[in-house]
Amino acid sequence: MVKTEKYQNRIELLQGTLDMLILEALRWGSMHGYGIAQGIRFKSDEVLQVETGSLYPALHRLERQGWVKSKWGVTESNQRAKFYEITKKGKEQLVAEQERWQRMVQAIGAVMGAARTAE
Amino acid sequence: MKFWPAWERRKDELHEELEAHLRIAVGERMARGESREEARAAAMRELGNSALVADVTRSKWGWQWLERIAQDVRYALRGILRRPAFALIVIVTLAVGIGANTAIFSAVYAVLLKPLPFPHGERMTVLGESSGQAEGISVTWLNFDHWRKENHSFEGMAGYESDDLTLTGRGQAVLTHAAMVTSEFFPLTGVRPVMGRLLTASDSEPQAPETVVVTQAFWKRALGADPQIVGKTLILNGTAHIVVGVLAREPGFFLRGVDYYLPYRPSPKQLSMRDSHGSLRALALLRTGVTLGAARADINTIMERLAKADPGPEDDHRVHAEFVTEERTGDVQHVFRLLMGAVALVLALVCANIGSLLLIRMTERAREMAIRSAIGAGRGRIARQLLTETLLITLIGGTCGVALAAAGLQVMKALGPKHIPRLMEASLDVPVLLFTAGLTVAVGLVCALAPVLGARRANLSLVLKEGSAGAGSGRIGHVFRGGLVAAEVAVALVLLFTSGLLLRSLVAAENVDPGFQPDHLLAMELQLPDGRYKTDASVLDFYARLEAALKAQPGITSAGAVSCPPAGGDCGDYWYSIVERPAPRREDVPLSLFNIADANYFQTAEMRVIAGRGITEQDKAGGPAVAVINETMAHTWWKDARSALGQHIKWGGPYNDGAVMEIVGVVGDVPQFGLDGEHVSAVYSPAGQRVSSAMVVMMRTSGDSTAMAASVRRVVAAMDSNVPVQSLKTTEEWLGASLAQRRFITLLLALFAGIAVILAAIGCYGVLNAWVTSRRQEIAIRMAMGAGTMAILRRMGRQAAVLGAIGLAVGLAASWGAARWVESLVFGVSVHDLVVLGIAAAGALLIVVLAAAVPLWRATQVDPMETLHEV
Repeated sequence: MVKTEKYQNRIELLQGTLDMLILEALRWGSMHGYGIAQGIRFKSDEVLQVETGSLYPALHRLERQGWVKSKWGVTESNQRAKFYEITKKGKEQLVAEQERWQRMVQAIGAVMGAARTAE
Repeated sequence: MKFWPAWERRKDELHEELEAHLRIAVGERMARGESREEARAAAMRELGNSALVADVTRSKWGWQWLERIAQDVRYALRGILRRPAFALIVIVTLAVGIGANTAIFSAVYAVLLKPLPFPHGERMTVLGESSGQAEGISVTWLNFDHWRKENHSFEGMAGYESDDLTLTGRGQAVLTHAAMVTSEFFPLTGVRPVMGRLLTASDSEPQAPETVVVTQAFWKRALGADPQIVGKTLILNGTAHIVVGVLAREPGFFLRGVDYYLPYRPSPKQLSMRDSHGSLRALALLRTGVTLGAARADINTIMERLAKADPGPEDDHRVHAEFVTEERTGDVQHVFRLLMGAVALVLALVCANIGSLLLIRMTERAREMAIRSAIGAGRGRIARQLLTETLLITLIGGTCGVALAAAGLQVMKALGPKHIPRLMEASLDVPVLLFTAGLTVAVGLVCALAPVLGARRANLSLVLKEGSAGAGSGRIGHVFRGGLVAAEVAVALVLLFTSGLLLRSLVAAENVDPGFQPDHLLAMELQLPDGRYKTDASVLDFYARLEAALKAQPGITSAGAVSCPPAGGDCGDYWYSIVERPAPRREDVPLSLFNIADANYFQTAEMRVIAGRGITEQDKAGGPAVAVINETMAHTWWKDARSALGQHIKWGGPYNDGAVMEIVGVVGDVPQFGLDGEHVSAVYSPAGQRVSSAMVVMMRTSGDSTAMAASVRRVVAAMDSNVPVQSLKTTEEWLGASLAQRRFITLLLALFAGIAVILAAIGCYGVLNAWVTSRRQEIAIRMAMGAGTMAILRRMGRQAAVLGAIGLAVGLAASWGAARWVESLVFGVSVHDLVVLGIAAAGALLIVVLAAAVPLWRATQVDPMETLHEV
């Protein structure tokens, strides 16, 4: 199956990380669901591929929390689509998530670095 | 099915969003050079299961539980609609049970439970005096004044009295209802003026100008809502009263509507004598934390102190105190408790019926449930589904019940006795609807218990293997349903018996010999305005001329007046003693009703003169004082009526002032307290010797008496247009009204008994029918083995007979006990009347026979070959 062959190239996203990535993707302007997924994919050099089954539940959850808002609009190719936009609250959340992410990367890095030294 | 449009719109939008995603993906792939088909297939593969995506997304909305309930409700509706006849029976049964309970509860709530319309109504008490002879008689002014000033138990105390006064000077004279109150009355009942002021203590001063505070309703109705009314005068009973205020709200303390309030003014006699009674009572607000018993003791200490300081003939009098709520509803409480009990029994039958119906339905559905759990439905899920289905059908039934109750309430108010306080206020208000909602849910849960428990017991493999319609009905189910049949028969029997007792009592009361001839007899209540008829002579002259003028009318054969007509109730009683007998001790002085009749009354009413003579024109003020007594009084003192003649009555007894009168005649008893009331002693004084301006003029008519009403009114108006006619109705109406409460409760109980019989019959039929169905194979085998119709009938009939017999036995025992409950309402028959009991038992037996007939007939019609092939 398609999924298995590409599996090695992909990284399973940690819980909550997808939220951060979506918010980050929306930082530069409003975008529809497909665009968000594509954006994350391009920026991560095709490593991070967001499944629709995770994307839309996440978007609706973020909307319910008031971090993004949505409205219907038209794409460049004149297609009707629902566009998401980050809110002020969402930007604050993104900053918080980023800090948390940094701390986590450092912490994990320290642990892994120590492990490598010990080898 | 679309339950919530907004929800549906949001679902559509999500679908559209995913579609858009697909379109954009396809578009981009095609832009990269893929063919439309390739692009579409790849994009769809990428999107995955869009329904699942949508489902997971929706779950993020946080509304999933609602959606699940909607799904359950949808399934439940489908389940209900699949069996419309079954659903209809359940809904109608529920509607009847819940409707009856709601209607009766709304009456109970209005009459017994609803808070009184003034602050701290639950602590409000009514005070009067009690002697050895009578409870709750009026309090004298001096006693009241001491109570008011010296008690430690009440936050406030007001004196009140009511009277009818004639308003003149504003067109036709009208009879108006006055309340005479002390100034404390208004703060106690929490009333404010909308205009002007309230009455104050200074209004009660003897030299103060006469003042009046009118109610808003009266101000609008009779005074044309005059905005300048304050300062104007009203002529009440010939005296000018200055209007000082208009009340914002009528406190509704007096059961009969009050038109205005006057300051209570004690007479000089009341101010000087501690035993001068009028009809003053006290309204008092009990302090928080003080019990009624403690308050009584407190007032009684004052009475004992007064007995020493100001001794008099009434030193043994004590306070009589009751909560207003009790005082109001004392005698109807029992009636409503009885009705509530009866409807509760009806509801129990409803629950039993629906429970057993659902259980039977479950047995039919055992296969469906087994398959459901075989393909993986959890027990919880199935139970929830069944619960939803039962609750839904209960809610529908409950809603129909509320509609039924609304209609029933209208009928009840139309037929209900007018004197039951606040019955007319009964409505489907919030507390009543809450009660109904609670009841409905409770009924739903109780009914749902049967199928849910049934579902738990269903043995999967057994059901699927057995496959017959009766599969899954265990032994416990049979015992349970058998118990239901017996219980239903018993309950129906109890209701049949009690309503039968009341029905017989009603018939007995209606057939009581009234002691006079009530048909073709018109009764007109008159009250001459005091201002115009100041002297006794003028009052007597008016009534004499009126009777002559009435008699001159064609169609009226005679006319006579009495102060208190039959069924007129207690128009006043007083102590008396027989001069020729030894003087009784103070606490043993007997009481008698007093009445005033003129020379034409006994003859007009066609009352029997048993001994001596009636009252004649010669019994005048100057002549010897005479009295006519009734049969009951004659029998109290003498062995025959004749012996009473020539003896003397002392009014007031040995210890109070009063005239001595010679007994010149004995007349038959008339039902003073209504047809089902007890006879009590009564003394008739001649109108010439004891003048009353308020009389009831009776007229014997030759034709239809109602047709005479107009000409009677004309005669009165021609004589004096300032004399208001208080009422004019036939004596039959008057008498019939005395049975209104009895008729009301009898009708309702009979109705509930009828419903109970129908429910019990349906319930028994359902259970027996299902039972026969579940045993068709057994019957078929027996038939195939050579059993005849009679043998089958005997075998199958035995169970019905056993259940019926148990039900009858329990019902008979319960009826015997329940008889005590209705004892106070039974009249003219024994509470353990065997005829009624027999008829009720026969009725209950008939239920069983009718309910068993069809199932038994079906049992004999089983075709052995066909049935055995079904397996």
